[in-house]
Amino acid sequence: MQDLLPSDRAPRRITIASVIFVLCCLLSSARMVLDTPLPRQGKADEIARLSDRRFAALRAELPQRGVVGYVGESGSLAVADYYLAQYALTPLVVEHSANHRMVVGNFPSAAGEVPGQDLQLAQELQLVKDFGNGVLLFANPRFADIPATDKDAR
Amino acid sequence: MALVLAVILCLVCGFALASLGWPRSAGLGSAVLLRASLTGPFGLAVFSIIFFIGRVFGVSHLVALDLIAGTMLAAAAARRRSQGDPQGLKPALIAAPGGTAEAVPYPAVPFPVVPCSDRIGSAGSGTGKRISHPVWLERVVTAGFVVSVGAAVYSAWLRAWARPQGSGWDAFAIWNLHARFLFRGGGHWRDGFSPLISWSHPDYPLLLPAAVAHFWSYLGHDEPAVPAVIGLVFTFCTVGLLCAALWLLRGRSCALLGGLALLSTPAFIDLGTWQYADVPLSFFLLATVAFLCLRDERAGSSPGLLALAGVAAGFAAWTKNEGVLFLCAIVLALAWHMGRERSRKMSSQGFEGRRVSTIPLLAALTPVLVVIIYFKRFVAPPGDLFSDPASMLHKVLEPARYWAVIKWYATEFFRFGHWLAIPGTLLLVGFYFAVAKEQHARRGPGFRAAVVGLALTLAGYFAVYLITPLDIYWHLRFSLDRLFLQVWPAVIFLFFLSVRAGEQSAAGDRI
Repeated sequence: MQDLLPSDRAPRRITIASVIFVLCCLLSSARMVLDTPLPRQGKADEIARLSDRRFAALRAELPQRGVVGYVGESGSLAVADYYLAQYALTPLVVEHSANHRMVVGNFPSAAGEVPGQDLQLAQELQLVKDFGNGVLLFANPRFADIPATDKDAR
Repeated sequence: MALVLAVILCLVCGFALASLGWPRSAGLGSAVLLRASLTGPFGLAVFSIIFFIGRVFGVSHLVALDLIAGTMLAAAAARRRSQGDPQGLKPALIAAPGGTAEAVPYPAVPFPVVPCSDRIGSAGSGTGKRISHPVWLERVVTAGFVVSVGAAVYSAWLRAWARPQGSGWDAFAIWNLHARFLFRGGGHWRDGFSPLISWSHPDYPLLLPAAVAHFWSYLGHDEPAVPAVIGLVFTFCTVGLLCAALWLLRGRSCALLGGLALLSTPAFIDLGTWQYADVPLSFFLLATVAFLCLRDERAGSSPGLLALAGVAAGFAAWTKNEGVLFLCAIVLALAWHMGRERSRKMSSQGFEGRRVSTIPLLAALTPVLVVIIYFKRFVAPPGDLFSDPASMLHKVLEPARYWAVIKWYATEFFRFGHWLAIPGTLLLVGFYFAVAKEQHARRGPGFRAAVVGLALTLAGYFAVYLITPLDIYWHLRFSLDRLFLQVWPAVIFLFFLSVRAGEQSAAGDRI
C-alpha cells in the first residue's frame, strides 16, 4: 500500500500506520465481543413477556379492529408500558385516553390493584374483566349511550 | 416451504433489479460480491413496494404479484443482457509508469498498484511506481479483517438471539408496530397510520415494515425472527457492498481496510440487530454513493450505473425520512456539479453529455418516488417536524441552539461508534495524514457529488435539530449517533477512495 509514494521513508510510515490502524480496529472488535451478551444473560423475549404474553387473553376478547382507550400507571415506565400495550393489541388502535366505550387498564407493578394516583380515574370506569397480571378491561359509562363510531371498537 | 418460496422470489427480484442496471457487456459473473451484496436489500425493497401496492389495491394474492414482478424483472434483465453492449465494454485506462494511459486487462497481481489519479477514463499522466508490498503486512491486514468478520458475526448473532424482537423503543414502537398494522390489519391496514397514535411516527416510510409484513404474510404469522434476520442481512450486506465497491475501485487492501473499519465499529453492528431502519438506510446511502463513483471510473456514460444510483437513492427515501433529505441533497449536488461544469465553459458536447446522463438517475428514481408521494399524500398524516412555522422561525433565530448542535456534533464525531481507545473517525484522520498527504487523487464528478450530497445531508440534519419541536437536547441525545452511523459506511467508502492505500484493480472481476 505504500507503492505510490515516491520517497523511501514513506513505506515505513505507511506500514506503521496500517499496522496501527488494524490494531485499533481489532481493539474495538474485542470490545464488541466482550460486550456481547452471552445466551444465558440475554433477556430472551423480554418484549414478548411484557407485551404479547401479557395481553394475549385481553386481545382474544377485544374486537378485531377499531379504537380502544387506555389508562395506566404513571411513572418512568408508563410510556413504555403504553407502547407495549399498543404493540400487543395491534391492529386495534390504543389511544391514551379514557374517552372510549372500552378502555384497557394496564397496571403491571400493581398486579391487579389500581394504585392510588390512578384510582380516581379508574373509579370513573366500570371494570368489565380482570385478566390478571395488572391487565384490566373497563367500560366507560359516559360513552355507553353514545353510538359507536366506525373507529370505536365494538 | 412458503418461506423458501418467499426468499427465492425476493432474491430473484433483487438480483434482476441489480442486473438491470449493470453494464451489459460485463460478464454475468462480474463483480460477484457487489451484486450479491445488492441482491438481498434490493429484493427486500422491491418486496416492500409490492406489499404496499398490494395493500393499496386490496390484492390478497401476494404470491401472484411476486411472481409477476420477479418474472418481469428477470425477463427485462435477461433481455438487456442478450442485447449486448453496442459500445462494448471500454476497459479502464490505467496510467502506465511512463505517464501514458493504456487499456489494461486488470492483471491478477496480489496487492499490485494502480495509480488512481491517472486511472480510468482520464488521460493519464502517471507518476506512481510499483514497489513490492511486504507480504507480512498483507497477511496482517487480511488476518485482521478475518478476525473482525468473526467478531462481528459472533456479536451480531448473539445480540439478535438475545433480543429477538430488537432493542430500544423504536423497534416495537415504530418499525415492527407498523409491520404489524400492515400484516394484521388486512383491509384496515390504514388504521395504523392514525393521528391518534402520532407518537409512532405514522409518517415514516415503509420499506422496512412492508418488507417484514410481506414475509409474515407468507408465514401466516408475525414471526419475530423475520425482522431480526432482515436486520442482519442489511448489516452484513452493507459490509459486503463497501468491500466489493472498494475492491473494484481501489483494490483488495483498500477493501479489507474499509471493511475492517466498518466491522470494528461496535455501534454499527449493534444497531444492525436493533431492528431500526438506520442500518438499512446506511446501505442505500452507500449504494447510491458507490454507484456514482463506479460510474466515474467506467469509460462511457454508463446510464445503467446512474440508474442504479437513482434506484438506491429512491429506496433510501422509502426507508426513512432522512433518506428523503439525502435524495434531495444528492439531486442538488448533481445539479450543482452540472452548474459548475457549465460555469467552466465546458464544450457544448461535453456538457450535453453530462446533462443527459443524469436522466437515467431521475428516471429510475421516479417509480419509487411515486410510491413515496402516494404514501405521504394519501396514507400518512403530516409529520410533527414542520407543524409550527412560527415556532420554527423563532428557533432558527436563537444562537444558543446553533451552539448546542455544534457542540453535540463535535462530541459525537469522536464517540458515535462506541470504539475502544481511539475513535474510528480519529483513526481515519490519522491514517489519512500518514498515507495520503502526499497523494491527491483525481476526483470524478460522482465522487464530488457524493461528498457534497453527504455534506448537505449532514447540514440538513443540523437544520432539523435547530427547528425540532422536541427538546433539542433530548433529540440530540437519542438520535445524533444514529444519524452519524447512517452516513458512516459511505464516509468510509469515500475516504478509502481518496487515500489510495494499497491500490489494485480487482483482478478479473471488473465492471
